[in-house]
Amino acid sequence: MNNSQGSVYKTDEELIENLRQESSLKRKGEEQLFTSYTYFIREGMHKHALSEDEAFDAYSDTILSAIEKIRNGSFEGRSSLKTWLYQIFHNKCVDLLRKKTTNKHSVHQTTAINDWLLQLSDNGKTIIQKLIDKTDWGFLKQKLNEIGDTCKRLLTLSAEGYSDKEIGELMEYKTADVVKTTRLRCLEKLRQLYKRP
Amino acid sequence: MSDLAYIDKYFKKELTQAEITEFEKKINEDPLFAEEVAFYCSTMQAINDQLAEEKKKQFRKIYDEGKLRSGSKPAAIRRLWIYVAAAAAVAGLIIGWYMFARPASIQDLADQYIEQIEIGVKMSGNEDNLGAAIRLYNKDSLPEALRQFEMIIQSDSIAETAKKMAGIVSLRLRDYDKAIDYFTQLENLKLNYNPGKLYHAIALIKRNSSGDKKTVKQLLQQVVEQDLEEKETAQKWLKSL
Repeated sequence: MNNSQGSVYKTDEELIENLRQESSLKRKGEEQLFTSYTYFIREGMHKHALSEDEAFDAYSDTILSAIEKIRNGSFEGRSSLKTWLYQIFHNKCVDLLRKKTTNKHSVHQTTAINDWLLQLSDNGKTIIQKLIDKTDWGFLKQKLNEIGDTCKRLLTLSAEGYSDKEIGELMEYKTADVVKTTRLRCLEKLRQLYKRP
Repeated sequence: MSDLAYIDKYFKKELTQAEITEFEKKINEDPLFAEEVAFYCSTMQAINDQLAEEKKKQFRKIYDEGKLRSGSKPAAIRRLWIYVAAAAAVAGLIIGWYMFARPASIQDLADQYIEQIEIGVKMSGNEDNLGAAIRLYNKDSLPEALRQFEMIIQSDSIAETAKKMAGIVSLRLRDYDKAIDYFTQLENLKLNYNPGKLYHAIALIKRNSSGDKKTVKQLLQQVVEQDLEEKETAQKWLKSL
């Protein structure tokens, strides 16, 4: 497939395979996916009367959501990549329009629904979601930047889905167990920083 | 086992079914434990948000570059559709020429060169940190790799490999101003092999701001006249300017 901005890949399967790699192909795949359908942004502007920045946001969110779904296997390939992406993009645009018309004065929420909650039972989910809603995101992100480079790198790689073994290889730890112990210490350090008034 | 270790096991799917049931029961019955679970989830979400923000910035750069290259704005494209049919036949001929006869542009040459840059590691006192940074680079963890290279540069004023790599990573992250800064530092070092000037030129080609083309030409001419590394590449590129 030859897309609008010059990135070239042969098939949807090849692109999806790149996105599932843990190597330089991953980033390349992400950029290829992004550049392949940037004309959606124009469609968002014309069909949904969004500004260019709004349509860009909807499109970027579409790509980030698609990357996540492709990695965790949610994309089953029952429709073409383009059709599937367009559906996500269309929904994002409609959501954005709805927010614009009904919640003009609400605070813009940067944090999406917490994917980590999906594992919990419905009851547990409700309890934890209520507690998460109380999170001071700005303060938490500020504290994340105070735990040190190594800790932040460890937690970031873990949140990205790297296993302790893979993190060990990347960061030159002797064993996955050492990674896990260090990672949990970092989490505890963040917990203490976040607790402080 | 601490609560955080227990919670981590749950989310890493390392608990048995019986332990999962116990875990969920504890959420219902122990408010402090529920708070710990919420903290864990919020932390992961906050990190993912930061990653998403970084990727969106990257996408924005790609998008803006694409617009610059095409030289048109979406609003203008909307008005052009009526001309498309008439232009199609002409476009076929132009594309044919473009594919087979067009000389490579300086942007194309720079892109090709970046793809081919080899990562040579010259070990020094910082070999562990440098090795780790290059490993991150090879795994495509570019922002992490850049942070690691920058730490090395802070502790060693020469750090030629780290400077070169910090510039290359900045190039790949499309932070051209930063790349120019590192390559300028590199080209001012006295080394046996120093491709700094050419790399500096590449960063300017990629940035493509007003006046950059003139500086690129000057840098490439210096490479040729002073018989520096990558002289042949510079000669070839000068023809494309």
